[in-house]
Amino acid sequence: MFGYQNKVLRIDLTKKGIKIEPLNMAWAEKYIGGKGLAIKYLYEELKPGIDPLSPDNKLLLMTGPLTGTPVPCSGKLSVASKSPATGTILDCSIGGHIALKVKYAGYDAIIFEGKLNKPGYVLIRDDKIEFKDAAELWGKGSHEVEGILVGKYGHEASVLSIGPAGENLVTMSCINSDYYRQAGRGGIGAVMGSKNVKAIVVIGTGGVKVDKILDVTNRLTEILRTDTLSDDNMFIYDCGTTAFLEACNDGGILPKNNFSDATDEDWTKYNGEVLLASKVGKRGCGSCGLGCGNFIKIGDAICEGPEYESIAVAGPNAGNSDPESIVKANQVADDMGLDTISAGDTIIFAMEMTEKGIHDFGIKFGDKEKYIEYLKLMARREGVGADLALGVRALAAKYGGEDFAMHVKGLEYPQYEPRGSWGMSLAYAVSDRGACHMRAYAPNEEVFAASIPPYTAEGKGEMVYNLAIYNAVKFSMILCDFWPLGLDRMTEIMTMITGREWTEAEMNAVAERVINIARAFNQREGFNRKDDTMPKRIANEALKSGAAAGQKIPQEAFEDMLDQYYSVLGWSKDGMVPENILCQL
Amino acid sequence: MALKRLKFTKDNCIGCQLCAQACSAVHEGEYCPSKARLSIESYYTSDGELKYKDSYCILCGMCKRQCPFGAISLEDKLTLDFDLCTGCGVCAEVCPKKVIKIRDEKAILCDTCNGDPSCVKICPHNALKYE
Repeated sequence: MFGYQNKVLRIDLTKKGIKIEPLNMAWAEKYIGGKGLAIKYLYEELKPGIDPLSPDNKLLLMTGPLTGTPVPCSGKLSVASKSPATGTILDCSIGGHIALKVKYAGYDAIIFEGKLNKPGYVLIRDDKIEFKDAAELWGKGSHEVEGILVGKYGHEASVLSIGPAGENLVTMSCINSDYYRQAGRGGIGAVMGSKNVKAIVVIGTGGVKVDKILDVTNRLTEILRTDTLSDDNMFIYDCGTTAFLEACNDGGILPKNNFSDATDEDWTKYNGEVLLASKVGKRGCGSCGLGCGNFIKIGDAICEGPEYESIAVAGPNAGNSDPESIVKANQVADDMGLDTISAGDTIIFAMEMTEKGIHDFGIKFGDKEKYIEYLKLMARREGVGADLALGVRALAAKYGGEDFAMHVKGLEYPQYEPRGSWGMSLAYAVSDRGACHMRAYAPNEEVFAASIPPYTAEGKGEMVYNLAIYNAVKFSMILCDFWPLGLDRMTEIMTMITGREWTEAEMNAVAERVINIARAFNQREGFNRKDDTMPKRIANEALKSGAAAGQKIPQEAFEDMLDQYYSVLGWSKDGMVPENILCQL
Repeated sequence: MALKRLKFTKDNCIGCQLCAQACSAVHEGEYCPSKARLSIESYYTSDGELKYKDSYCILCGMCKRQCPFGAISLEDKLTLDFDLCTGCGVCAEVCPKKVIKIRDEKAILCDTCNGDPSCVKICPHNALKYE
């Protein structure tokens, strides 16, 4: 098939050895690339039960057949491993230009194994791989490190780096690239830190070949103009995800004070209009076309974004409405190498714990300066940060507060309140990496499009299944979430780039396989229905205000949704993938 | 009629490099930005700035004027006479936008895709124009 480089670079960090091997094309046929193929490799290569922060774990960078071509929104890289936060499979999707560089360097995937004996970074210049000392970079913020490395190797270089949080094995640490793009969740940065890898620098000067390249380029140009850049999608260019603030507040799913409520009367103080008034530039990822990145400066606070998630957690969910501090919190979290969602959720949990007098973390809702200070302490595990670096689940186990501990499988809750979008409680519960909003995006159906009634369990198993199927194939191709292209278009693009005829049925089969193998990985680690949970607050406390006032999700309704979902996928009542599916993965 | 040229407006650029991919597809038969006849990128600096690199042919004609072998002509576009070009590299040295590269002992010039530049056609937010 065209589009692939047919090459995997395997790097043994312990022995400082490299090996080039062919991409397993039989697996590529079944899983395409990106998310799906990364999980397949890890499913085959990781022994069950390994410690995610030990040299036995692997860090995998996976492109896809579209990477490096002008397919719009195809500039993403899957970064995958076993999660130190949850013990589940973990795949993240990072933008910027790193994916293209990996592909142009000649690889479909790069697999890091073992552990460097001391802090270092790996320099990949096409087929030349060097192991470099990082003694002088260790301890530094991610932004400074990227600046030093790009200064040294030029703008042709793309960098993946971790901040102090990753070095200190904080299980909510991220990997950064292009300063403001992250593989954010599940502690992927700690995996890199556990391998003593401060950074990965990639320079790729090769190309990607496809059949009938002129026809393909012309057709992709047409698709870009008519489909990607359609009027309906232009809000991404104009506003990025800040646009979701109004929709979420109106729909009653904008979390306030650690998910105590789901609307905020102050939302106009930090909304897109306010933030974008401080826009000083625009930037998208490689091969993008849409261009969601808004480069913002307010006072001395700088970031690209901030994205809806980061705004909501450092804003209303922390009892804060000051835009400058929201941007600053984003900037500091990125630089320290912390996931804005999990780190933020942990701080707001501490705020509620303190206010309720359960345990004094010295921070209350609205303490915006402390929020930023605490991020730094968490990344370095200093002072109160040593506790907070443990995350919501561990803190609740240590000090209490189970009633409002917002996580699934140890991954902290994203900022879409499920009581106003019931399907989201199911999506969070069954997501392959713990509470994640990127596996099935229920608010789109239940709130924004309002095409499905939000406050009922009815039909939600199938709805979440359909959304999950869509994302599973999209993230395996690997495309950006922002382009809402149809399955027909995805199929057309796969056929065009790989030069082999794909059908929609095949694409759906890939998607279902991806969901099953992720579940199978987790099943092998001991996960089942008992782990597909909903935080107690969602079941026990009704929302007080907003469009979803009075709503809570009864436990029976939640269990009903789980039953439905398992049933659509052919899983057992206990949420297990049966043998007849396992043997086909 | 005035000569049509590529023009770049950085405020419209998102740094996607679709331009370089399309260029290399047309001229090299692969998606390979390092071989493209333009290089337009944006990048952040560690002190919080967003910068642009805009290396594209402005049809200034400097290469034509300085070529020791008379291998480059400029009418509505640049044309290279392959027989006359020795790959001496003078054109690349004098090119003010650093567009010209020497590969396999020949100068690699932007020919504006014969008046229908693929980079302009694909540029998503019209940062590149041909006018």
